[in-house]
Amino acid sequence: MISDYAGITPKGDLQLLQKLGEKLRNKAFLHINSTRAGGGVAEILQRMIPLLQEIGISARWEVIEGDDEFFNITKKIHNTLQGNLDHISKEMWGHHYEVNKRNAEKINLEADAVLIHDPQPAPLIEFRKTGKWIWRCHIDASNPLKKVSDYLRRYWEKYDAAIFSVARFARSIPIDEFIIAPSIDPLSEKNRELSDQEISEVSERLQIPRDRPIILQVSRFDRFKDPTGIIKAYKIVKKYNDCILILAGSPATDDPEGEEVLKEVRACAASDPDIFILLLPTFSDRDINALQRMADVILQKSTREGFGLTVSEAMWKGKPVIGGAVGGIPLQIVHGVTGFLVHSVEGAAFRIRQFLNNPDMARRMGEKGKEYVRINFLITRQIRDYLSVWYALENKGKNVLEL
Amino acid sequence: MEKPIAPFELRQCASILRSTGEKAKNLRELREIIVRVSDEAIFHHTYQYFLKGHIYQYTNDFAQWAGESLEEEALAEHLSVLDPYEFKTIEDLRGVLLAVIDRYLEDFPEPREAMSGDEFHFNETITLIFPVGVRAKNLAEFLMAIKYVDAGSIYYHFYEARMRLGGGIDDFSAWIDTSLDKKDLAEKVRAIDPFMHSIEEIRKHITEVVEKEARRDMEVV
Repeated sequence: MISDYAGITPKGDLQLLQKLGEKLRNKAFLHINSTRAGGGVAEILQRMIPLLQEIGISARWEVIEGDDEFFNITKKIHNTLQGNLDHISKEMWGHHYEVNKRNAEKINLEADAVLIHDPQPAPLIEFRKTGKWIWRCHIDASNPLKKVSDYLRRYWEKYDAAIFSVARFARSIPIDEFIIAPSIDPLSEKNRELSDQEISEVSERLQIPRDRPIILQVSRFDRFKDPTGIIKAYKIVKKYNDCILILAGSPATDDPEGEEVLKEVRACAASDPDIFILLLPTFSDRDINALQRMADVILQKSTREGFGLTVSEAMWKGKPVIGGAVGGIPLQIVHGVTGFLVHSVEGAAFRIRQFLNNPDMARRMGEKGKEYVRINFLITRQIRDYLSVWYALENKGKNVLEL
Repeated sequence: MEKPIAPFELRQCASILRSTGEKAKNLRELREIIVRVSDEAIFHHTYQYFLKGHIYQYTNDFAQWAGESLEEEALAEHLSVLDPYEFKTIEDLRGVLLAVIDRYLEDFPEPREAMSGDEFHFNETITLIFPVGVRAKNLAEFLMAIKYVDAGSIYYHFYEARMRLGGGIDDFSAWIDTSLDKKDLAEKVRAIDPFMHSIEEIRKHITEVVEKEARRDMEVV
């Protein structure tokens, strides 16, 4: 219920949402992505669709289906847009298009606004019927492999607008490009308040000792999240401060590399009994929430990142956070104010030690971080922004819109 | 008969960011783009900086980038003392920004480049203005409203209004002056320096002066 957000999110966000809901009442808003579960996009869509419906918008969420080959190709596209070297052959691009074509035959694409999430369903624009079409890029496309971004241009240019999470991800394409940060839902199972009993239940079930400080990273087992770098940082810290390390993640159906990375992480952790590698089933939201709440320091030491919403999740719990200075992380962590940004394993180790040895500073930064998230990174602000972009496209040419 | 008081309708603004596609990796490129970029982009990177809540070291995006990304701290300081609300038009502000950068380039003709990925990206905004459903008909209600509304509403009436109304006038003091006919109080609100305070500090200062006045009115009765 939208009214449940009163007293949590800024009042103005709720008022603007209601106003935009009135303006766009009963209009159809279709979201399409490539996975129903796992990863930040699916998580936020699960929460956003009912809220959009509640304010009078006819919102739908469709997921494209593909075979293993399709998801291997889209993983390559994803990685190359994030700067990895790889080759995508003509046949692969053909399969990418064909799978989208088959999906276009099954999905009802008629809507007043269509928001296509990430490159997997980008070719659906070729089958556009009605409405404004917006491509939403959630990944760090600031330094893409040129060949791949050049190929995708043929799709991007046909959209009415694109949305990027960070200004430097924007491409030079001749359409409107908006910058909208993603968000977390403060009422979801992953972020709601938990009782001490609920937290203890999780620590007991997962056999996490609570007698020493806990260092935590929650993320998919992906090389860009640098899980082995975190283990190295932990080993440096461990020489000075007794602590435990938890690396927790859920598998995503569109990530075939996860298994391989997990093996590397296990090898790096070796037999250290204070390193907990938790492969949590999808929808372990309450467990993740509890892990974040029991942690003393939370890391998101990515080397590439779309936005890194786990940073906002951690900040929302009032925890001191250390993040890699990549992607959207510097937008959430104002260095030295709402957390620390690091550029190396050694930097991460140093900041962990600082937090463990200065609990007052850790608490202060945690509080500032929580307020920063409240104003900037909650779901009501993101829905407000999506609807604002749609409304702005309906009123093209105006820079000031009175509601 | 006393003339009826026109109520103060509180409004708020929210912005969505639009990329201009322009980016600068060094000071010379920044200068070139400041020359040609839209008024909306200059407005966003200077005036709208106040919406960010003063948690950064400098007072506009250009200064912040010069200090943090180029590590040209002296330039950051020069840019940071520019109070955008002192200028009548964005063109005037643009001219002074360029003059500051030119002077710096004369002294330091080879400033360093930003790291890859840390370029200055020029954005502009589309602004949505909406009523917040709060109306004040007298000073006591106005006091309650100031305490209640979001920071975005204070920004709209205290900062954004200066460009809309011109002459350094904000909506709050204009209403106190014309509708409540309280010129002294209006002057006290006008005397609060928008440049040196965060929005929350502005809220606190307005609350203080209005509360004092409301208490005095009440005691007279």
